[in-house]
Amino acid sequence: MSDGLRTPAPSRRAFLAGTASLATSVALGSGVGAVQAQGTAPVTGGRLVYLEQQAHTNLYPPAGGFYPNGGVLNQITDKLTYQNPKTLKIEPWLAESWSFNADRTEYVFKLRKGVTFSDGTPLDAAAVAKNFDVYGKGSKELRHPVSEVINNYAGSEVVDPLTVRFRFSKPSPGFLQGTSVIGSGIVSPATLDRRFDELGDATKIIGSGPFVVASEQLGRELVLAARKDYAWAPASSANQGRPYLDEIRYIVTGEDSVRIGALLAGQADVIRQVQAYDEAQVEKAGYRIYAPSTRGVNNSVVFRPDNPLVADIRVRRALLHATNAKEIVESLFSEHYPQATSVIASTAQGYVNLSDKLTFDPAKAQALLDEAGWKPGRNGVRQRGAQELALTAYESLPQPQNRATLQLIAQQWARVGVKLTVLAGDSGSRATDDLDPLKTPVSPAMVGRADPDVIKSQYHWENRDMLRQKPGRGKVNEFVDAKLNELLEAIAAEVNEEKRLDYVVQVQTYLLDQAYVIPIFEEPQAFAAAPYVQGLGFEAVGRPSFYNTWLAKR
Amino acid sequence: MARYILTRLLQAVFVLWAAFTVSFILLQALPGDEILIKFENPDLGLSKQQIADIRLAYGADVPLHQQYLFSLGRVLSGQLGNSIQRGVPVIDAIAANLPSTLRLTVLGFVTAASLALVIAFLATLTPFAFLRSLLRGLPSLFISLPVFWLGIVLIQVFSFQLKLIPVIGAGPWEGLVLPVLALAVPISAPLAQVLVRSIDEVETQGFVAVARAKGASRRWVLWRHVFRNAVPPTLTIGGVLFGELLAGAVVTETVFGLNGLGRLTEQAVNLQDAAILQAIVLIAALGFVLVNLSVDLVMPILDPRLRKAFGGAS
Repeated sequence: MSDGLRTPAPSRRAFLAGTASLATSVALGSGVGAVQAQGTAPVTGGRLVYLEQQAHTNLYPPAGGFYPNGGVLNQITDKLTYQNPKTLKIEPWLAESWSFNADRTEYVFKLRKGVTFSDGTPLDAAAVAKNFDVYGKGSKELRHPVSEVINNYAGSEVVDPLTVRFRFSKPSPGFLQGTSVIGSGIVSPATLDRRFDELGDATKIIGSGPFVVASEQLGRELVLAARKDYAWAPASSANQGRPYLDEIRYIVTGEDSVRIGALLAGQADVIRQVQAYDEAQVEKAGYRIYAPSTRGVNNSVVFRPDNPLVADIRVRRALLHATNAKEIVESLFSEHYPQATSVIASTAQGYVNLSDKLTFDPAKAQALLDEAGWKPGRNGVRQRGAQELALTAYESLPQPQNRATLQLIAQQWARVGVKLTVLAGDSGSRATDDLDPLKTPVSPAMVGRADPDVIKSQYHWENRDMLRQKPGRGKVNEFVDAKLNELLEAIAAEVNEEKRLDYVVQVQTYLLDQAYVIPIFEEPQAFAAAPYVQGLGFEAVGRPSFYNTWLAKR
Repeated sequence: MARYILTRLLQAVFVLWAAFTVSFILLQALPGDEILIKFENPDLGLSKQQIADIRLAYGADVPLHQQYLFSLGRVLSGQLGNSIQRGVPVIDAIAANLPSTLRLTVLGFVTAASLALVIAFLATLTPFAFLRSLLRGLPSLFISLPVFWLGIVLIQVFSFQLKLIPVIGAGPWEGLVLPVLALAVPISAPLAQVLVRSIDEVETQGFVAVARAKGASRRWVLWRHVFRNAVPPTLTIGGVLFGELLAGAVVTETVFGLNGLGRLTEQAVNLQDAAILQAIVLIAALGFVLVNLSVDLVMPILDPRLRKAFGGAS
């Protein structure tokens, strides 16, 4: 190890204790994490049938943000570090220990000995270096895109067979947590030698995880088999050996009623994506709902201030106060979807309760719109001159009941004289129009990731650019918010964890003061499982983990 | 006959080329493209520059005529390429879906045809007038049943309530019973309707009266004379229904969670997955051409009047 690097892992004390304990209590309260039947030893063997709503797409690990992809990758790949879903602390996994320099431009990881990929090749420093070289820089030739969670990556160096060093061009305090996410799953160099457009075949993804892809029927079914020689679980895992299950069958079943019916009829053991209105019948039958938090940016609607209709802060603030999130949560969702009290989830790092900025106050909304010059007009829609205050939003298919949510918001806004048209649209129109603030002044948004970087990623013009700023994506004329960008960049670069979380607080406050965002609820991932399914776990942002899962007697 | 078949084959090649070209143009007319849909997806969180690099690498912005010639050339050389959306070779995606769709649609069609025959015969032969009109009303009922609704009802009743057939983890044939039924019922309706009507029409003709006058039983006349003359219009409808069968397969496959060309097509259209769509269009066009060709070839066997048309050539 080079001079100037601190060892051992200082990250453990770096996280705010308060955030961690809050996360723990919420996580336990909502039934997240592994649940074990009391007094019974886990049973080894058996096959679990898991029903997915959608087929996986490309299984290149950085594409693991798509839930069906993450659900598969989380079983077949391991990561350098493990983010404990209860404490959100970063723990050793494939890396036994790590260190970094003071300005966080250099990280050194010492790997665990004896880890192998499922094809028998060793998981060593060279393999890890290759993974992050591809994830950090992408590959033009093989068309691998760059990973969202790895910023400012400069390169790697194999120090010895079990030690690897990563260098960054700018301070990158988010990198350590970035090594724990689904998108940083380590795969064999052979997998990364394949072209990007070959990685949709799950059998080609060779990882070191507790399960291996045994066979696949494209778009329909995936069989994962236990790796009997698996022996490198994170230390905090109850199980340290092979997974209890012999086999998991992933079956794609798009129809909601068929997934629920099949679960209750005993044809399946665990299902993903349970709509809130179906929860009651599942629980009534004695089955369990699991709703792990995604711990990121809340399910929200965001404005594109480049659109002249919402460029005026008074209009945005009016719409924020015209939105009744409580009514949305109570009429469309369940206790598993807590009403938002800030831009990010209460289980996210750096969260601050800003509910006093999110009051439902139609009278204030009316006054603000009057002040902005929007007068009540024909058909109850406000007008300024000949122009109507009429907005459009596209529904987002992956978000739970997003169309119903937007339609309810449209009703709430209509009461103060603002028209919101909710469009379904095909993927092409949606993707094209979403880049044009004139066509989509309002958009639903959410993203899950348990690191302060998540808020930067969501709003900075270099990343997801949800507000559509000038140099970023889309057809933007002039909107840019230098102050916001400065704060966001500070989150990404601040090496002092306490200061970093303080920037996160500032960004949340600023986003709501500017009324760029209307947070609605904290989005969970909803699963249902049969009562005999034990030890079903979830990683920090709600992807299932079947490693500790076993089947009790029915 | 040989010249006739040759002409039809040339026509088929033309139809295939036209289908390919039209689908290429239609895909271009849709807003956005597959690269945009795939890589602008917030799940990947790529920056503007990264997306621009990817567009360059895939040649997404080269002039249209070059893209057209490139993909036409690729198809002509027998390569279908890889799907960018799915990350698998197109041939694998087709191979994973074509057989199950063929099973579903062939069985669905056979079931629909049998159902139509049974309805038509019963509707003609049943003794009581009210029963006959009841049976004649069945096709109208069948055609108004939405496939997805019927599918869900069949699953709820036979799989979840009576637990006769599992939907999840059923064997390849066992799992087809309910989907085939759901698909066949609405398809059987127009077949039965046309068959009933043409039986009615043929029955009023003179030669039927003559046969009856000669002492043939009603059933014998129906089978020997009426049916043979009533089939051709039904066969024509059957050929046209092939397209409807594929459309019904989309819904059936989605409801029952089966893989198949129907669902693949729906997803490919939504994601503008050009490579897969072009392969499907070619397969569908080929299917249409073959089905219609075989209908045209079978017709003269059933109807001697048509044989004269190419009597000189054969």
